[in-house]
Order: sequence, then C-alpha cells, then structure tokens
Amino acid sequence: MATNVYSFPLPPNFHRWTVVCILLGLLAYAAQAKSPVGNLSTRTSVADVTVTGQVTDEATGEALAGCSVVVKGSQRGTTTDANGNYRIAVPNGTTTLVFGFIGFVSQEVVVGNRTAINVGLKSSASELNQVVVIGYGSTTKRDMTGSIKSIKSADFNRGIINSPEQLIQGKIAGVNVTSASGEPGSNQTITIRGPGGIRSGSTPLFVLDGLPLDNSSTGGATNPLTFLNPGDIESIDVLKDASATSIYGARGANGVVLITTKKGKAGTSALTLSASLGVSKLARPLNVFSASDYRREVTALGGVLDDRGASTDWQREVTRTAITQNYNIGFNGGSQKLTYFGSVGVQQQQGILKNSQLNRYTGRVNVSQRMLEDRLTLDVNLNAAYTDNQRPPIGSLVGGAISANPTYPAYDSTGAPFQYQGGTNPLIALKLNKDVTATTRVIANISPSFKILDNLVYKLNIGLDYSNANQDVQSLANAVPQQDGRLDSYYNTNRNTLVENYFTYTLNRGSHNLTALLGHSYQKFFIQGRNWSINKFPITPVEPIYNPGLGQDLTLANNQPGGYAIQNELQSFFGRATYNFKDRYLLTATVRADGSSKFGSNNKYGIFPSFSAGWRLSDENFLKSGPFTDLKLRAGWGQTGNQEIPAKITQALYTAQVSGTTSYPLNNSNSYPAGISYTRLANPDIQWEVSTQSDVGLDFALFNGALSGSVDYFRKVSEKILLQVIPADPVQPASTYWTNVPDMRITNQGLELDLNYRYASQSGFRFDIGGNVTFINNVVTNSPYSVITSGSANGSGLTSATINGYINNQPIGTFFLKEFTGFDEKGMSTYRDVDGDGLVTDKDRIAAGSALPTKQFNINTNLAYKGFDLAINFNGISGNKVYDNTANASFYKLRLSKGLNTTPEAVQYSQESINNSAPVSSRFLKDGRFFRLNNLALGYNLNPKAIGMNRWINNIRLSVTGQNLFVITPYNGYDPEVNGNQAINGVVSYGIDYLAYPKARTVIVGLNLTF
Amino acid sequence: MKKTLLSILTAVALTGTYSCTNLAENVLDEASVSGLSNQQLADGNIAPVYALLPTIFLHTNYFAVQEISTDEAILPYRGGTDWGDNGIYLALHQHTTTSTDPNLLNTWNNLVQSLSRSVSAINALPTIKDGSAQVYLAEARGMRAYYNMMLLDLFGIVFVKEDPQSTSTVLRGEAGYNYVLSELLAAEPNLQTTVGPGRLSKGAAWGLLARLYLNGAVYRNRTATSFTFQSADMDKVTEYCDKIINSGQYKLASDYFTIFNQDNHTNPELIFAVDQRAELNGTNRLAYFSLSGDQFPIPAYPAANGTDGPAITPDFYQSWAQAYSPKDPTVDPRFYRQNLSIYTNPADSCVSAANFNINRGILRGQQYGLLRVNGAFVRCPDGNYKVGKLFNVTRNRPTLAVNFTEQVNYTVAGSDYNTGYRVEKYEFSKKSTSGRNLGDADISIIRLADVYLMRAEAKLRKSNDAAGALADVNTVRAARTFPTAPPALTSMSLDLLFRERGFELYWEMVRRTDMIRFGKYEGTWTEKTNTDVRKRIFPIPQTAIDGASNIPGYLTQNEGY
Repeated sequence: MATNVYSFPLPPNFHRWTVVCILLGLLAYAAQAKSPVGNLSTRTSVADVTVTGQVTDEATGEALAGCSVVVKGSQRGTTTDANGNYRIAVPNGTTTLVFGFIGFVSQEVVVGNRTAINVGLKSSASELNQVVVIGYGSTTKRDMTGSIKSIKSADFNRGIINSPEQLIQGKIAGVNVTSASGEPGSNQTITIRGPGGIRSGSTPLFVLDGLPLDNSSTGGATNPLTFLNPGDIESIDVLKDASATSIYGARGANGVVLITTKKGKAGTSALTLSASLGVSKLARPLNVFSASDYRREVTALGGVLDDRGASTDWQREVTRTAITQNYNIGFNGGSQKLTYFGSVGVQQQQGILKNSQLNRYTGRVNVSQRMLEDRLTLDVNLNAAYTDNQRPPIGSLVGGAISANPTYPAYDSTGAPFQYQGGTNPLIALKLNKDVTATTRVIANISPSFKILDNLVYKLNIGLDYSNANQDVQSLANAVPQQDGRLDSYYNTNRNTLVENYFTYTLNRGSHNLTALLGHSYQKFFIQGRNWSINKFPITPVEPIYNPGLGQDLTLANNQPGGYAIQNELQSFFGRATYNFKDRYLLTATVRADGSSKFGSNNKYGIFPSFSAGWRLSDENFLKSGPFTDLKLRAGWGQTGNQEIPAKITQALYTAQVSGTTSYPLNNSNSYPAGISYTRLANPDIQWEVSTQSDVGLDFALFNGALSGSVDYFRKVSEKILLQVIPADPVQPASTYWTNVPDMRITNQGLELDLNYRYASQSGFRFDIGGNVTFINNVVTNSPYSVITSGSANGSGLTSATINGYINNQPIGTFFLKEFTGFDEKGMSTYRDVDGDGLVTDKDRIAAGSALPTKQFNINTNLAYKGFDLAINFNGISGNKVYDNTANASFYKLRLSKGLNTTPEAVQYSQESINNSAPVSSRFLKDGRFFRLNNLALGYNLNPKAIGMNRWINNIRLSVTGQNLFVITPYNGYDPEVNGNQAINGVVSYGIDYLAYPKARTVIVGLNLTF
Repeated sequence: MKKTLLSILTAVALTGTYSCTNLAENVLDEASVSGLSNQQLADGNIAPVYALLPTIFLHTNYFAVQEISTDEAILPYRGGTDWGDNGIYLALHQHTTTSTDPNLLNTWNNLVQSLSRSVSAINALPTIKDGSAQVYLAEARGMRAYYNMMLLDLFGIVFVKEDPQSTSTVLRGEAGYNYVLSELLAAEPNLQTTVGPGRLSKGAAWGLLARLYLNGAVYRNRTATSFTFQSADMDKVTEYCDKIINSGQYKLASDYFTIFNQDNHTNPELIFAVDQRAELNGTNRLAYFSLSGDQFPIPAYPAANGTDGPAITPDFYQSWAQAYSPKDPTVDPRFYRQNLSIYTNPADSCVSAANFNINRGILRGQQYGLLRVNGAFVRCPDGNYKVGKLFNVTRNRPTLAVNFTEQVNYTVAGSDYNTGYRVEKYEFSKKSTSGRNLGDADISIIRLADVYLMRAEAKLRKSNDAAGALADVNTVRAARTFPTAPPALTSMSLDLLFRERGFELYWEMVRRTDMIRFGKYEGTWTEKTNTDVRKRIFPIPQTAIDGASNIPGYLTQNEGY
C-alpha cells in the first residue's frame, strides 16, 4: 500500500478486518437478496434512523478510514473511523447515502429500511473511471482517445526525491528519465518517445496545476523543478502522443507532463507527520591503483615515482557517508463549500562529495471554495519554496581524487590538507572553493470557474511563477598555494505570468455526448540575470560571501559586470471537441494556434491540429461474453511544435564596445575606440519546428481487470529542424546562426507495452506486478550536412575534438569517432582507415553506436501482507553506449608515467608506448546497458492500539527504502546512467561521462503518523 | 443571470486587455548602435579589424603553430597536469597534428573572424564621412590581405569576399598567392607612413610585400622538392626592402633586448607589431610561457610565475654553440643578457625591487631569483629582496634545483621540469599580477633586422650575391653594440643565412615559414622524423570542414589530412 506521506493510511489489523468485511459483505448481500423489495415502500417513519456500517476497498477488502458519508441532498455527513466504520443518523424519508473517497469511485446507496449498510468502493485507480488529466480539463480512462499515462502518488518511486521526474522514472513506457549525474538536485533528462530535435530543448512541457512552467534555468546548477515537494503531488499525467499534446500546440512536440497537487476533500480531516533519515555512500568507486599497485606500476613503466610513503584512498577522502533528513507536515480536509490541503516540508540532503548540500523548504496551500449556489468554484494554489544548494568544486574533487598520487598523505602532521603545490590536493581545492545558490520560487494560481448554464462553464486561470536566485562563487585568498581570492555573484530572476480564459460546453443527449472547449491563453516570460565580481581578498577567517567589501581589486578588465534580460510572449487560441456515441465510439479533435514573439512577423503563428478516435470493442455485443473487461482500440494523428530557441534570433545585433577583442589602439592615447561588430546575425524567417505524430494503441483488461495493459505503436516525424549552424563559409561576423534546416527529418518510431497483473488472496495477501517495455528507433534523414557534431571532448588537448555526430540514417546520440584498432610496432594507436586512402584522418570517423537505448524495460512489483508492504522497482536499458571521457582524459599510460594515478585500464596493453596520446576514438566507447534495482521500499503499518495510542493516532507506519541498491552493467565508470552536458552551439550531446558527480547508494528509514 | 453574464464579460474583457498582444519582440538588454559621430563610426569600424591580433599571437595559437612545429621549440609533457594536453604539443613538434587540434582551431577562428571584420569595414568605411575613412579603408583592405596571407601560409587557403552577404570564393596555391599580392599592392598607395608600428603603415605593407615575394616560390608550389625562386620576385623583395631601409624611418636597435621590452612601442626598429596595452588587450604570455614555475620575475606579485612550457631544442642550441665555438655563445648579445649579478657574483644576493630584473635571452643552467615562502618573497635584513638558487618548490620537488639542461625530449628523463634551455625574449610585464595578464609589449611582426636579412636572402637567391648578402647580415650584427657587438661574419651562404635568421629572429614566429622556404622542414631534430612534404601546411580544422558539409566540394581538407 501507498507510503507517500500524505496518502491515507491503512487501518491497523486490516487483515482481520478484511475477513470481517468480506463476511459482512456477504451477509449484507445475502440479506439484500432475501429482502422482498416491497418492504422498501411500505416502511414510513418521521424519526431519524441510525445507519451503521463499514466502507471497504472492494478489490482488497481493506477498510477505508476517513471516507465521507453524506446524506444525499443535505448538509448532513460524517466520515468513517480508522476501521472504516461509520454511524450516521438519517432523517426519515432519506433514500440515498453517498459514499466518497479520494481515489475511489463515489457510490450512491439506497437506504431503504436497512440500518446496516456495508459498502465496497471501487478504486478508481484500477478502473476505467480513473480520472486522467488532459490539459484544460480531464477525462476518464474509459473515454480517452490519446496515449496518456497517469501515475498516482501511491505508485511513485520512494526515497530521496529532488524533482518530479524521479517519481516516475521507470513507470511509463516510452518515457526515458536519465539523471545528468549523482549530484543532489542534478538535472534530469526526460525524453518522451525519443528526442525530436537535435538541440537542447527536447524537454517536455511541464504543467503544474494548469500553469505551464518555463524550462529555463532558475539560476545555479540544480534542476529548476527541484522546488517541488514530492509529497505534495497527487498525480503525474504524461501526455505522449500528438493527439493528446496538440492542445499545447507549439510546446507539445516533446510531450507534456501534467503535475497535479493534492486537494482537500469535503467532510474529512487528517493530519500527517512524517520523518525520514537517509544514509548515502558512494555506490561504485573507480578502480584506481592503490598505493602499492601504483608504486609497482609507475616503476614498471620507468616513470617518475615520487613516493611519500602513505597509502591514501583519495576517493574515500573526498567523499563521505551523507545524511539526509526529511520532515513533512500535511493536513487536509474541508466542509461542503471549502476544502483545503496544506503542507510544510523540509529536506536537508548531504551529497556524498564533501561540502555538497541541498536543502529544500517548501510550503503549500491549496484551497477550493464554492459559492453562489455552487455555480462559482474558486481554486487557489499557492506554493512557496526555498532551496539552498552548496556545491564543492566537483571537477577538481573527482578529477583530483582519481588522479592524485596515492602515496601522498591526505593530511599533514598538523591535520591540515597535505600541500603538494604542483598538482592540487583535492582537499585544498575543497577548502578554498565553494559555490552557493539560494533560490526562492513562488507559484500561485487562482482559477475561478463559473457555471453560466448547467452545461456551460467559464473558467479563468491566472497564474504567476516567480523565482529569484542568488549564486555566490567564492575562492578564498590563500598563501600556499598562492591565490588572491575572488567572489563572483550572480542574481537571477524568472517571472512567468499566465492569463487564460476558456469555456467548456457539455451536451448529453441520449447516446450522444459532446464536450467542447474554446479558449485563449496569454503567457509572458521574463528572465533576467546579472553578475558582479571582486578580487583580491586578505587572508582572514571572513569569507568573501559575507563581506564582499573586503576585496581590494576591482577593474573593468577583471570584474566587468554582466547581465541579460529576456522577454518572451506566447498568445494562443485553442479548442477541443470530444464526442462519443453510446460510450463506444469516441472522437476527439483539437486545434491550437500559437503565436510567439520569438518568431518574425511572417511566421508569428503556427497552427497545430490533431484528431483521434477510440472504439470500445469490449462494449460491443460480440465481445461482451469474452474475457475482456475492457478492450479499446485507439488511433490518433496530430501536429505539434517546438519553439525552444533563444530569443532575439530574428534580430541582428550590431554593437559598439570597448573590449580586448573588439577594440584596438589607433594612436598613442590611452582612450580606445568602441569597436563596432555584429555579434548576431538575423534570421527573420525562422519558424517552428514541426513534429507530426501518429499513434495506434490498444488498451485491454482481462479477468475482471486482474490483467491489464496497453500496447502503442507510434511514429513521430520532426521537420523544419531548428539548429544553430556553422556557416559553410567560415568568413562570417558571427561564428554561427540559427536556421530551420531544410528537408532534414528526425523520425522516432517505436512500440510501447505496459502490462500489469494484480492478485489479492482471501488471506489478505496482495500482489501486484507491472512492467513496461519500450522499443524506439530514432533516425536522422535528409540532413544536408555530412555531419552535425556535438559532444565536445573534455580534458587537456581534447577540447576541440567532438564525440557525438548526427549523420543521415543514424540515430541522434550517435558516437561519430575513429575506430581504434590497436597499436603499431612503435606502440602508437592505430585506427581503421575507412576510406582506404592510406591515412587515418577525421574522414575515417564511423557511426559507432548511439547513447540512446534501443530497449527500455522496467519492472514494478508491490506485495502486501499483514501490515507489511513491499515495493520494488527495477530499471534497465540496453542497446546504448557511453563515452568514457573520464578514462580518455585521465587513464592513459603517459599520465601514469608522469606520476598521476590511473585505473588498470591505462596499462592494459603492454605493447602501448608511454608516449602514445589518447585522442577521442572508439577506444573509450563502452557498452552502457544496465539493470538497476532502483527502488525498494519495505513498510510496516503498526496498530496504534497495540501501543495504546489508538485514541489519537489513526496509523503508524515504519518504512525502509533503498535507492540504487545495485546496478548490473559492463560499464566501468561511476555509472552508465550519465549525461554530462557537452553541447556545442546548442546541439545536444548524449552519453558522455566526464568527471561526473558519482551516484550514491542510499538507505532511508521513515516514520509516518496519521492523526 | 444578466449580472453574472456581465461580470464574466468584464473578466474576459479585463484579462483580454492585459493579454492581447501583437507579439512584437521587445529586446531589453541590447541595442544595435546608433547616433555615433562620423569619427566614432570610422574608428569603430577599423578597430575590430585589428582587435583579434593579440589573441592570434597568443602563445598557444600562432606562436605554438609557428615555433613548436620547428627546431626552435619543443614542448614535452612536463608531468602532473603540466602541458600533458593529451599529446597535442608532442604531435605539433612531430608533424602529426590532426584536424581536431584545438590550437589550430583557435588560430583559424580568429583569422577568419578578422577577415570577416575586414570585409565589414571595407563595406562600411566608404559611406562614412570622416577624414580618416580613406586611410582606414586602405588599412582594412591591407589587413584582409595580411590575414589571408597567414591563412595561405598556415593552411594553404585564401578566402575572397567582397560582399558580406555573399559566400567567399576559396582560392588555393598560386591563385591564392596572386590574390593576396594584388590586394596588398592595391592597399599600399593609400596607407600612411607614420601610423606604425601598431597599425598597417606603408612600411608595414612594404615589409609584408617583401615577405610575400620571398615566399612566392613556396606558395606557388607548396610541395615542390626544391623551390624555384623567380628572379623577378627577388627583385621585388630587394625593391621593397630598399624602400624601408632608404626611408630612414626605422633604426636598428643597439641594445637588442630593448626591441622586446614592455615600452617597445616607440622602438624605431619595429615596423609592424601587435600593439598591446595592459589596460586594454595585452597579455604577458610570450614572456611567461617558457619560464620555470619557480621563477618569479616581479617582486610586487608573488602569484606571477612561469609555467615550464617550451624549451629550445638541443639542435637549435648547437647551432649557436658551434657557430661561436670554442667561445660561449654569450659573445653574441642576442643570445643572452645577464641582469642579475648573482649568476656571476654569488655574494650579490640582496636586490632592491627597482633593480630586480630577470635575465633575458636563452636561459641555461641553475637559475636564481626571488624566493617565495608561504606566498611571500623572502627579504634581506636591509629590506631588499633575497635572491638565491631556485628549486622546484611549486612542483613539490623542493630538492630539485631549477637547473635547465641542454637535453630535452619525450623520454621520462628528458621531459622533466628542468629539461631544455628556456627563452625569455620579451620582458616580463611589471604590471602582470598573474604572470599571464596585463602585458604591455608590442609583439613584433616585421622589424628592420628582418628586412635586412630578407634583402640578403634575395641577393643570394637571385644571383648568389654573397658579398652583398654578407654586408646586410653584418650591418645587423654590427648594430647590436650593447654591450659588445657580435663578431662580423666572413662568408655567406643560404645555410649561414638560415642560421643567422635563427640567431636574430628566434621565437618570433617566422621559423616554420623559414624552414619550409630553406627546405629544412623535412629535416630531423629531437623527436621529429616526419618527412611528409604535405605537412608544410596544417589541416583545416574539422569543425570548419563539418560545418561546410552542406555545400559539397566547397571546403575540402588539405591533402594528407
């Protein structure tokens, strides 16, 4: 059962109640069957009648606490207790009780002459009536025609969660979530049905409670979505195909992720407290030489052995056992007219690298008020978050730790970091450098909806997303190694405002059901960044961050302030019509006209249509008797856009400035002319990237829903690819310009399969196993370029080499490299001469595989028995490769001979010369497939009665969660799931591992109390 | 009902008013220039044409490609994180550089961007009504020719572009040479005589023309087994050298190292140079590059040190040693200048800040200097700075003396921090807080001694006029009277002239061009054995080749790469 902090907990001793419930249920059924119907009408009384009973989950028999029981048509109501029991006085003449509970289909029961009514509610999660959020509205799983997957909080990944992508990693076919590194709050790359573009900006659109978020960085290095408290999230709905996403038009091409936060429920009240403590350690250290191995290997190479006699495990020195604490208070409830949800959360997370820390403080209030005879509903969501991220110098720490001489001591006799000045003791870099970012983000939206007519609703949505980040990058003044000290401060402000007006019209006439939506949306984005710096601090205990005024050197050459401010606007008109006939034949059509200030006057607006249809075969007579509880065929087609390019592309920039690279002395005076130069070329004709997607899917459920799932085939073709290109003619005022590459296409096609099987035994044992498999084939065609390169290599001497290259008939993320074939007689590397011209040059590069997996598979299992529950989540991918740039830059013979540490990989070839260089080649390209036990959570629900606390406490839950418990992979770097950003000119790179923050293995113990 | 309808309409209208937009892009943080005076426009157009010169002449850019590829400089992997760079400097010396070399890319990018700025200026200047526009136009045209001349020399390619909107025409070989020549000739008449050395003057254009004619045989047929120097070309070399020498505007410096001092902007030997100003664009990289990490040349700045970069090869050193044997090469004042007397008088170990200047020229053996302990220099009791034997303290090898050895190569022993004799030709900037920044010295492109040596070479190549050539060479030698002039030579030949160019112009970024012209580039020295004549030009950077791949055949890679 769910362990999420705000979820409604299991009552204690539920296994016993299960038996009781089932028995009561059977009795009630039997009684009902025997009762003559005529009795109902004959009984008349003027007094109140007390009705009692129990509410249970129909599927499991588990009692439902906090379920609302309301007398229909009145204000009278109550809620069930911890054991699902209720008692309500029903006025005479009342015929119906309404039973409602979050996550379940509410049920109306005719009272008749009964005084005991037990009700089994159907979980909406397991049923076709499950609500699916679709953007500007919702539908049910039964009626949806697009490819949408809804994940409820109960099914989220557990543990230390920094951003919502992590909650759904591995839960949805066709959705690939990859973390950039193991750093707390690191960026997550999420692609839905494969990347449709080749520049950065393939991230889906995130919509939080109806407010589309901007994917821009909010400052600092953390994922901008880190501000969300995962405990506040009720559900995440992922719109995958164009028929679902085209309602978001120009931002729909990469899929849409709709995040819905928790709401209160009338007639209930609950308070939840939760606390957890996590312990993380470096999961897989690199296998660098120990001190004794190092001595032997350096000597064997004839290298310079500088032996200081110590035996230091530098990776251990720069890492630590990291502690994460998480506390949450949540409350929710409401009356008929007013419902509310509130929460306050704190998470203080240490990273496994020393001095790495991410703290998150969040508060949320969601309120819904009904007024004017329930015609007006006012929804208000308010979220405030403060995150505080401290980063050590990651590259120096990781790079230093894997290269430092292991015979050097980490600390000297005084306990200070040992100083070896030529290289740098990573612990000194740790002491002298830090990078701190404090981000405040406030998101508020108010959305009144007014029922003009019974079937016409007008809704206004006004939203604001504001964030403010202060980043300080500090290096302390120091004597040895000598440095002057410097403070750089960056201030970022992002503001995103939204105004939407839309009307929803519904018509139900006989077998015809029509819903129509028409609206207008205006969204404005403002992003501003400014920075200042100051140099040369005295060596004092006062950190520059706390007193920048101590700096003694401030010149335009070294400290020129910088800044930018960008404003973008989007104006849209949208409409959707859904029609179904006899609940069997379903049609949806949407259109959105999107206008953007990023495009020139001739291409301001793009129009993005879609159509989809569904056929519920299981409702047809010829299938009614079969095993299918549900069988639906879906098909859709649509167009969506992508407008994620920088602002101002349609305008040239021609500036006059005095700087070292634009000005020059023209005479002997000390005043220099402002040099005039083009810093940007205009492309007034630039327009949207367009992606056309078709989808055919089948949803099915068999054996009363025990086995359910869906299969989808999709094909997504992106055209008018937006790209920042290097002009063919190198003689250009600016080295690149933006264009829609003519004719080029990127096609993603694939097959997705979701399967779920659930089982519940009479004894209370529940078992639920689900999984998904995705096969994606991504290919670039008709590119006019022989190659579009990306993935700039890192490390000394490697910086102008490229690792990724996008070429025709190969997928995005392709590694385009020389093929390493071994060594010549001098011990120097040889590469395959592909074109046979007798020379090995860059013309001999080959497509050596891609970073994109061809297969993704995930297994999710839930088990529950007698108060215990267990959730296990495995993730795996295959068919992908990883470029080990860390090994390329750090682990070769020449370095070891010069005293830098390496792994045994550097000396694996005895015939290799120590003067052999290691350029970028397939030598460092490695198989990146893996199978990971990503998440394992074991919970136990303790009976408060057993410890005498049942008067106040509804539930006590203890849990242990493991994250990244093991990973099986042939890859020998820190982790194959890595995606360092090595983009060139905005052309995104894939699968490059360079001194990434290593991943942690984490165990978390948690306690939840519900009152 | 009416009321509610009205209020909804009001809401729609209100929010509609706020949200209705024509989506015109509002640019907040930048504006294209306007309202400039004619003089600002003229100055603003010519300045960017020159502005990238300091970057082009950076130690890792033009210096590296012109010197580390030759017998004058070698940069081994010193150890630790120092100059490993995954072998790019090893490859440069061994002529195995590939098209992804980052230093080649930087050099290329700065050259093509400078070409583009020249094209922009050539198009803008004729419309600007300012007195200087005419001269600036000639300078922009001349600089476009100069940048193309560098591209021709390095990559064997020239870009012809008149209209900024058009695509350049690519020329190679003789066509490229003819284009550069015609452009330099066309620019020359409108150039000024007195705007040097920082800007392109008439003298500068004459010097470039002499250099271009001298290398014409190479540019016409790059991979020839032996070059055919046309006598008409040699006459032109002599003609333009004569113009410079006879103008009387330039003078050979009696004190050789003053040509490379921080205040050299007014040195009359400089004809054309990169005008560096500490407060605008100057770096100190050429002075810091070769020094030891434990040499601290500036008493005021304990963070300013060297980097143990390149050394001269033993082969180059031997050319000096053998020329003056049995005497030490210090008889030639161009070889070495002692500024700290401790090298010859160990007792003189306290020096005032004002008198502290490190030695210049080619540095051999044990080095002495300021002693840095805990981030500060040690002082004598009298308050002066303590000067002593240097050790590799910053390399954490405090017992290893900073004692430069003749031998330097790629072996473990031959590539240690001490190996190779070092060069401190340019004065270390007194303003440089980090040792890397804030340089003031102009970087010589063409100076009078080079002109004399070019004329001598033209005389030898045209008619084997050894006497005339010897006279020019000895004119240069005789001028270096401080402290004493090197002995006059008694005979002259192409080999001796090549050697003399090394003595006069070492580390001045002409060596690669010289070695090719004198047929020496395929020779063997230190770690270099490659004899492929196609290596006389470098590969075009791969990013440029890949970027042009949408126009098949437009930008093809040089043969051999």
